[in-house]
Amino acid sequence: MDFTIIAETNGDSLHPTTYQLIGAAASMGSNSTVICPNGVGASEAAKINGVEKVISATGDCFNIFDGGAWASAMSSMCGEMTLISASPNGREIGARIAAKKDIPIIQDVVSMSEGITVNRPIYSGKAMESLTISGSAVITLRPNAFEAASTGNDAPINVVDQSADVKIAIQEAINKASERLDVTEADIIISGGRGMGTIENFSHLEEIADTIGAAVGASRAVVDEWGMPHRMQVGQTGKTVTPSLYIAVGISGAIQHLAGMRSSKYILAINKDPDAPIFGVADYGIVATWEDAIPALKSSLSELQS
Amino acid sequence: MNITVLLKQVPDTTAKITISDGKVDENSVSKWSMSPYDEYALESGLQLKEKTGGNLIAITCGPERAKKMLTDAAAVGADTLVHISNDGVTDSTHVQKLLAAAVKKFDSQIVLCGKQAADTNGGSTGPGVAELIGAACVTLVSEVNYSEGNFSTIRPSNSGTEKVAVDGLSVFAFDKGTSELRRPNVRGIMMAKKKQVESITSGDLGVILNSSNVALNSQNPPPEKPAGQKFEGAEHVNEVVSKLRNEANVI
Amino acid sequence: MRIMAYEALDFYDVDSLLTEEERMVRDMVRDWVDEEVIPNIEIACREGVFPDEWRVALGEMGVLGAPLKGYDCPGLSYTAYGVICRELERGDSGLRSFASVQGSLAMYPIWDFGSEEQKNHYLPKMASGEWIGCFGLTEPDYGSNPGDMITKAEDMGDHYLLNGAKMWITNGTIAELAVVWAKLDGVIRGFIVEKNDPGFSAPEMKGKHSLKASVTSELVFQDCKIPKDRILPGVKGLRGPFSCLNNARYGISWGALGSAQACFDSAKDYAMSRIQFNHPIASYQLVQNKLSWMLREITKGQLLAYHLGKKKDSGTWIPEHISLAKMNNVDIALEIARVARDIHGANGILDEYPIMRHMANLESVKTYEGTHDIHNLIIGRHITGIQAFTREA
Repeated sequence: MDFTIIAETNGDSLHPTTYQLIGAAASMGSNSTVICPNGVGASEAAKINGVEKVISATGDCFNIFDGGAWASAMSSMCGEMTLISASPNGREIGARIAAKKDIPIIQDVVSMSEGITVNRPIYSGKAMESLTISGSAVITLRPNAFEAASTGNDAPINVVDQSADVKIAIQEAINKASERLDVTEADIIISGGRGMGTIENFSHLEEIADTIGAAVGASRAVVDEWGMPHRMQVGQTGKTVTPSLYIAVGISGAIQHLAGMRSSKYILAINKDPDAPIFGVADYGIVATWEDAIPALKSSLSELQS
Repeated sequence: MNITVLLKQVPDTTAKITISDGKVDENSVSKWSMSPYDEYALESGLQLKEKTGGNLIAITCGPERAKKMLTDAAAVGADTLVHISNDGVTDSTHVQKLLAAAVKKFDSQIVLCGKQAADTNGGSTGPGVAELIGAACVTLVSEVNYSEGNFSTIRPSNSGTEKVAVDGLSVFAFDKGTSELRRPNVRGIMMAKKKQVESITSGDLGVILNSSNVALNSQNPPPEKPAGQKFEGAEHVNEVVSKLRNEANVI
Repeated sequence: MRIMAYEALDFYDVDSLLTEEERMVRDMVRDWVDEEVIPNIEIACREGVFPDEWRVALGEMGVLGAPLKGYDCPGLSYTAYGVICRELERGDSGLRSFASVQGSLAMYPIWDFGSEEQKNHYLPKMASGEWIGCFGLTEPDYGSNPGDMITKAEDMGDHYLLNGAKMWITNGTIAELAVVWAKLDGVIRGFIVEKNDPGFSAPEMKGKHSLKASVTSELVFQDCKIPKDRILPGVKGLRGPFSCLNNARYGISWGALGSAQACFDSAKDYAMSRIQFNHPIASYQLVQNKLSWMLREITKGQLLAYHLGKKKDSGTWIPEHISLAKMNNVDIALEIARVARDIHGANGILDEYPIMRHMANLESVKTYEGTHDIHNLIIGRHITGIQAFTREA
């Protein structure tokens, strides 16, 4: 089975998920051909172990993101099995390549084994699906679900100039100050309670939220007593939320607060009181003051991002 | 102008999912709803219909029960309701082919859909249909506008959002839209009741559903969460963050 | 994004008997209550106001005067009307009272007993929510005994002159019009009084511990002059107001279940989360007994209401049928609210939980539209043929 990988980029270099895609192919006992759209990251890709060759795909069609044009430019270079990151762009390119080649696409795969058998979450993670692919397909892989390949390679790079019809044009860039997500929309929420001391200290939580694209929430005490906006309140008289991760900082976990967040997939609680009720529902609990834990959390998460 | 909206009926996102015999038990689903992102696509379609005086065509590929969702779409203003039977459909490719054929059959000038369905969480339908009909596709859009014969849309960019123009027939796949979703009213409900749902099959569309090289082995409950773990002291933060990534896969 | 969809207790799947239209109406009102009412009701209750946005929304949804046909009225089934009341009252009894008064007590008498001119003039604007109506029957000294009312209308040739006072009138202070029952030459007749008619005022009654998010008023007539064309030509005697009350009572028999469901849901969620002696209190037998009893009564009440709706729609009902359902469903709803408060412990007294608001509201619901005891005697008279309301024969 030959594997083709469409590189995922981050600005001028490869996104870490590209290493994971290559690693995934390697775990199936296969080297891969890596296609770098617009040539971005080609020399970096050549150094990754498990890469047989790199195709640096260049052309005007890569100047802006038009999924149709990109797929058109790259699909002929894709072999039997194509792996792409399950990022928004990756999912789109993957779907178009699959439709073009009349082969199946399986999105957001979290594990892969001989067969080729893959597992993917469905119903927003309430269930898992196991599928076996017996032919050509496009698979998108969930970021951070696969081991990254190591470096030390020196693969050849071919430059291939491609052209395709671009049907999208950017009329106007709207650089708005990104509004922080609302608690009801976010996949990750970091919430603060009385334990944060003052409303000013919430700025630390906001920094973390900005780092990981989370929303900031608050307990009722903080809203009623410190004037935090009511729309941030999580709990019985606030919002009910179901994020993948709820980080509760300085929140004791009174029943009224739990009512709003106990259906979160994972709960991380940080509180200096080891007997705080929140630890009863937390998947991960850290007994520490926010002053100690939050800076550590911030640097740990920043490191993870890079 | 024919404004086509592709809709999917899914278990309500708050409904409990029960698994029996290695498959999700659809009979135990207490409530079926329009997939949430599709609702934004429909709202956008209704606004375009109001602006252009066009005809809104709501198309779904699904079982019989999905017809109720089309009636709900009619209650807020969908004009033509099309139900494509999902007999013989085993994967996304089949759905895309059926929807693409229907989009062509109903002579669409624009296609709107949600970015991904709340059950399969794939995101293949919009771009796949676009590929099959030879159209452009813009995903993660929050609104679609029409002016002087052209469509434009807003999608995310690295520094915020960007306004994008499209050339020719396009598919727009919605993320959460900027507009409030309109409610039905009694008049709309009573008129919707009278609206016929046009039922078509893969045969009517001339689509042959080949056997797929993807086989479903089973559907299972998610892996058991490990028991709650408690750590003393902030020195454990790094360890916990690793667990959040490697054990829980939530960051 | 729509917020979490509400799933009502429906143990015997009674809602599966609804028509598709009734289901769609239910879902429309249910979603609106989830999104617009429940997040705001506690503030409205604390401040003692009925938010005007709700009047607008009810008008836009087209649910006012639900079972009335023609004149831009919804023309839905009685079952649909019941469902609307239930969904509104899950939010708050005061909200449902607004709709009951508007539809069953103000629009209905004009629809059934009014002239064509009156119907065309008033009904469309009331259906759209532009004009609010109210119903003036009860007086300070005449509640369960409306027949002896003393509000009087005199025929002055080119107008009627009204004197008297009505009390406990929902919507009075915010209404454009009132359907007032007064004695003309000793016979009870209906009159439409408009808010600017000279000699008419509608002060708000303050200090309520119940139905706080609803406006309750007095209607005061001091030589109130109204044009001759304001009399309702189509009815004389108590049949007029009682026809209206039958419709409102019917809606309440469904409405009370909404309140009971809200209390049950809160009690169940609380019992599952509240840990005492290391276990959720839902694991203790006495708590389970209470929850089980609530489910039993709600289920029975649902069947009663649904079947009554079918009898209303097929015209095979008598007023005693309505008395039974109103009496039973309100009675169990109030008991459910009390038991639910008990399950919530001290937390139950806070407006973080809806319990005591429903409990206090249901005290009014048990009293208005015919007290519990009066309905009891209505059924007693039906069984025995002997009236036991008064000391006279």
